[in-house]
Amino acid sequence: MRDVFIVSNSVDELGGLTRWVHHIAHLFSERGHRVHLVGVTHAKEKYDYGDDFPVTVLHDTHPPARAKGRLRELRRRSVQRKGAEKLSALFRTARPGGIVIAAQVWAMEWVALADTAGMPVIGMSHESYAASQESSRFGRVQSYFSQADRLLVLTTEDADAWARKGMSNIDVMPNPVHVTPTAFPDLTEPVVVALGRLSYEKGHDMLLESWARVAKNNPSWKLRVFGAGPMDETLRRQADELDITVDLAGMTNDVQGALTNASIYALPSRSEGFPMGILEAMAYGLPVVAFDSAPGIRELITHEIDGILVTPGNVIEFAEALERLMGDPGLRAKLGEAGRRSVQRFSADVVVDRWERMFDLVYR
Amino acid sequence: MTDVSVIVIVYNDADRLPDAVRSALDQSHRSVEVIIVNDASTDGTRQVADALAAENPDRVRVIHRTENSGAGGQPRNDGIEATRSTYLMFLDSDDTLDRHACRNLVATAEETGAELVSGCCWRVFPERKEEHPWFRRLYRERAVYSSVRECPDLMYDTLCTNKLYRRDFLDREQLRFPSGLFYEDLLFCTEIYLAARMIAVIPHRVYNWMVYENSDRPSVTNQRARLRNFADRLEIFRRIGEVYDRYGADDLKLSRDVKFLNYDLPLYVRTLRSREPEYRAKFLELAAGYLNELDPRAYEEAKQIKAIIGFMVAKGDYEGAVSAIEYVPKKGGKARLATELVERDGRVFWSADYLDDERARSVLDVTDLGFHSMPLKSLTLAGRVTEMDLKGSTLHVAGDVVNPLGRIDSATKLRAELEFRDRRRSRRVFGIPAKVEHAGGRIRWRADSQPIRQLRPLGFVDQTWSLRLRLHVGDDQLVIRLTADEAVHNHLEVPVRPRLTRLAGDHLQAYVPESGELALRIVARQLAARWTLAVLSALAKTPYGRRWWQTLLRAEKGMRDSFQSPKTKVNFYSKVFTRLPIRRRTIVFESHLGKQYSDNPKYIYEELRRSGAKYTAIWAYAGSPTGFPKDAKLVRRGSWAYYRALARAQYWVDNQGFPRGATKRPQTTYIQTWHGSAYKLMGADSPETKRGTQAHRARHQQMVDRFDYFVIRSEHDAQTLAKGLGVRAELVRSGYPRNDALVNGGSGAALRKELKLTDDRKVVLYAPTFRNGPNGKPEKRFELPFDVERFAKELGETHVLLVRPHYLSTAVLPPSLRGTVRSVADVHDVTSLLQITDALITDYSSVMFDYALLDRPLLFFAPDLEDYVRSRGSYFDLAEEAPGPVVGDEEELFAALADLDGVGTRYAKQRKRFAENFGEYDQGTAAKQIVERFFS
Repeated sequence: MRDVFIVSNSVDELGGLTRWVHHIAHLFSERGHRVHLVGVTHAKEKYDYGDDFPVTVLHDTHPPARAKGRLRELRRRSVQRKGAEKLSALFRTARPGGIVIAAQVWAMEWVALADTAGMPVIGMSHESYAASQESSRFGRVQSYFSQADRLLVLTTEDADAWARKGMSNIDVMPNPVHVTPTAFPDLTEPVVVALGRLSYEKGHDMLLESWARVAKNNPSWKLRVFGAGPMDETLRRQADELDITVDLAGMTNDVQGALTNASIYALPSRSEGFPMGILEAMAYGLPVVAFDSAPGIRELITHEIDGILVTPGNVIEFAEALERLMGDPGLRAKLGEAGRRSVQRFSADVVVDRWERMFDLVYR
Repeated sequence: MTDVSVIVIVYNDADRLPDAVRSALDQSHRSVEVIIVNDASTDGTRQVADALAAENPDRVRVIHRTENSGAGGQPRNDGIEATRSTYLMFLDSDDTLDRHACRNLVATAEETGAELVSGCCWRVFPERKEEHPWFRRLYRERAVYSSVRECPDLMYDTLCTNKLYRRDFLDREQLRFPSGLFYEDLLFCTEIYLAARMIAVIPHRVYNWMVYENSDRPSVTNQRARLRNFADRLEIFRRIGEVYDRYGADDLKLSRDVKFLNYDLPLYVRTLRSREPEYRAKFLELAAGYLNELDPRAYEEAKQIKAIIGFMVAKGDYEGAVSAIEYVPKKGGKARLATELVERDGRVFWSADYLDDERARSVLDVTDLGFHSMPLKSLTLAGRVTEMDLKGSTLHVAGDVVNPLGRIDSATKLRAELEFRDRRRSRRVFGIPAKVEHAGGRIRWRADSQPIRQLRPLGFVDQTWSLRLRLHVGDDQLVIRLTADEAVHNHLEVPVRPRLTRLAGDHLQAYVPESGELALRIVARQLAARWTLAVLSALAKTPYGRRWWQTLLRAEKGMRDSFQSPKTKVNFYSKVFTRLPIRRRTIVFESHLGKQYSDNPKYIYEELRRSGAKYTAIWAYAGSPTGFPKDAKLVRRGSWAYYRALARAQYWVDNQGFPRGATKRPQTTYIQTWHGSAYKLMGADSPETKRGTQAHRARHQQMVDRFDYFVIRSEHDAQTLAKGLGVRAELVRSGYPRNDALVNGGSGAALRKELKLTDDRKVVLYAPTFRNGPNGKPEKRFELPFDVERFAKELGETHVLLVRPHYLSTAVLPPSLRGTVRSVADVHDVTSLLQITDALITDYSSVMFDYALLDRPLLFFAPDLEDYVRSRGSYFDLAEEAPGPVVGDEEELFAALADLDGVGTRYAKQRKRFAENFGEYDQGTAAKQIVERFFS
């Protein structure tokens, strides 16, 4: 029974990280822990996750961003300090044995300023090492999280990379499977499905190119893409240019419906952390074809055992992999079943056990 | 119960002990206790240790030994006996633990059930402000081994301090340190590795090994000077052999022997030059005795030069050993080839001695290192100073340079300068002309100078100077690093006058720093300067003075570095150079990033000269200007002059790409000729670009958008290359200037003569494209995919094979094949090479499109066709379109080669179609069209 404070950029945003926050909060409280959610600020567009946990928001309006100029920097810091004081006050209410989780590096800036009342701080980076490296977060992760008692990343491969970089507090914590299927696909529907935000990183353009290579020979098969995002228009135009039909089905809340009406799951992403899409597809027993573009993907899929991995960017190979699965119901069933079993490594119970061991460890 | 006991051993180290102990107490893992074992120190260590215990009564205990044990083993054993916690660690009093060491090690032990968990040790050099991981290759990633046999290389890490041990494991196996010997960890670790039933390795930094290089009291490993130390190491190695026997680990003995050759022996041989003759003799005797016990296979397994060192030491050959070690310098050092080498029976050997023996021949055979064929510059020849004296005011220095395999031809004209170079500022050089000549298989040189006038150091900031010989061999320039024995340089002191003030010193004194190369340093002999330097160096030793001085030096170095950095130049380019007026009628030419004078830009340039049009031509070269035209202005790629030329030129002509930072001015016209048609997918069509980030694509597009004109050979180029690269420039449908000669005919007779291809054997060119190595970058070393010896044997009478690897890689061919198989990697210009050949073998190189114009037989040797197409993608099906047989193995290749005429007739039609499809605009007038259109 511990007080667990989860501090993230916001707690009411529509997005993977916030969804993870609420999911893990539920899992912790099922084990009897008292969870407090803290958002640095409100999301621009709010999403309702219910009110199962006490929520604290440090700043009602978005705190000022880093900018040039001494005065502006002074102002930013003073605003930040006020937020941190609020956080310190909250931390003081904790009973002995409490834990602070800084789920994002921006949120960690406040935790670092606050008085944690002796509680250990567990930092988290929910993206791959390579993705951090390419963004401004790389330096900030190193400076802010080096003060944390533990810094958790999603896969061993990422943790090893951080360790080599000198982050000696690095450790691994995968995301748990967050769906509990009540129905399963029978893998006969001639549909390839992809779910995800329509952004450049998610690589749907490469999926369309691959599809152009297989569509003509497999007229009975359909490609269905769920999701919305900035690439929507571009993808429609690309489909026209390639002269293929793609069912761009928009956003959906019905993951089960989307997955049970398909036989193959495609993940053409250019970069990923620990892709929820694959977790979901595997939990439903859908065979997955993905570019081998991130440690999180390799961690989930063993090539030819519970999915197919393709050299990143190689649309020819991706098309071949799709075609192979389309023509071989036996292979679909084999990979899907193996995936459903292997994804149990990341079942809620296994992952929460790991968390609780981590809580004990940081108190030793 | 406490989780971890950290045993800190200390002997006379009162100053540093508190840091070590504190690093253990400040662990993020709290369940840690410290046992200090004081090995009968005679300084204040006892009091310091007791005080630490008094401050932390629950967490620190002290054991005072009454008698010094002379090494680390016994005190550690005492520590082990005094503890009862689950895990043990060892810490030396001059080192520290990383803050999370215990947590990472304990967590891993519990997660994996390992009895031994090892993390990465970092060597920290506080004086140099540097730190490096120790044996990173063993600690790249988390791993669990159920036996050391799964990763025998672990045994290279013989530190006992970066590890966590389960206490019950040490007790079960009765593992303790040997007492009274140096290198006790080596033996202890061997036993640990062999005994452990589960070993885990983590990449986390756990231990900081502090290395004080200028310390008054060097630690054990710094005292290599002492023979006892080496004798102890040998004794430990013998005992390790016994341990192997005990554990029935015969299979690991070989890897111990390999390690001795690769790692342990070179440590000592490296310092041999600076030792007394008696030490050398004794050392060789000790070492030879041990080397004779080694498994002979170890010489084959060890790294080649390391094996040669071992071989020479075993023979008692001092010169052989120390000249070999010069070729494998310490990290950061420069390899020097100090040996003559010899060619026998078509193979190259390290030394002419010992070759009667079969085993010696296999150790000394260095043919594969390619000394006989690599460019002269890459050989990094070693030079010696053999005379150095002062006659009146004249400094006389003389010496010689090795000339292995007679690579420096006695017919070539030689010129040399002796250079005195500021060690901190490589650009400050005083050059003295030297006389140089061939003499007895070596190159002799001598230089006389008037140092008081010719050598003018500044003083204070340039304390040390290195001495090098710049040797001009024809157009090549070699920088020779010089070594000297003490008997020769004899700490000679040369009078000089520093420019700042004579208070900074008055003589340059010869000495040999750790690099082994001769150097000079400023010293003071007159009273005033002696006093000044004494005061200054005392000041510099105070903490404040040192900080101030280092800040100053850093600031100066920073300024120098930033002046030369590409970023500064690009900034200056866009802020200043591009505001200067354009110089009309100037053209900057560049081919393959300046690596060559070749390809389309070369042929445009030559046509320009022929036309007599009055243009100023500037050629960019990378590396050496050798081979570039003498009637053009030459600028080094990336230099200040280069950026200025780019900014002010009216035309840019190149076949690959100018630096990204060089934005093109609107007044400049950029003619991009490109360097070949495409078979594999290019640009946005290629997997590399597809998987890349948006920013990467945008950068690429930005570069391509600089093009004003893009030269193509066919509509195939327009559809594939231009589209894939995202070219939006006007397409110039002239064909390739480099191919004019192929269409118009021409014999290439000059090149034929130069290559001495005068008999009537058929000349076959093998020109494959590059392959990516495991790291995703082009493979540097190209291994021929078929048996060239067999080629020589079966076809050598009738064929000559010219090998031209892609310009990103090099190939090594044994000298025995000289008459029949030769490398033509150093021929800049591929066009004339194509002209002199009777047939071409390639795989996926764009040379196939050019060669088809000649209408001569083409062979495609493509054993990996399927993989290649799968991984890179292609614009067409090679098997279908190829203008010659596509063969997959050696048998087929040799059969086709034997029947070149048959191949020629069978594929005549396909060849014609191929040439038309891919070279429709190659009509022999490309250079002319381009010059007339742009430069008339």
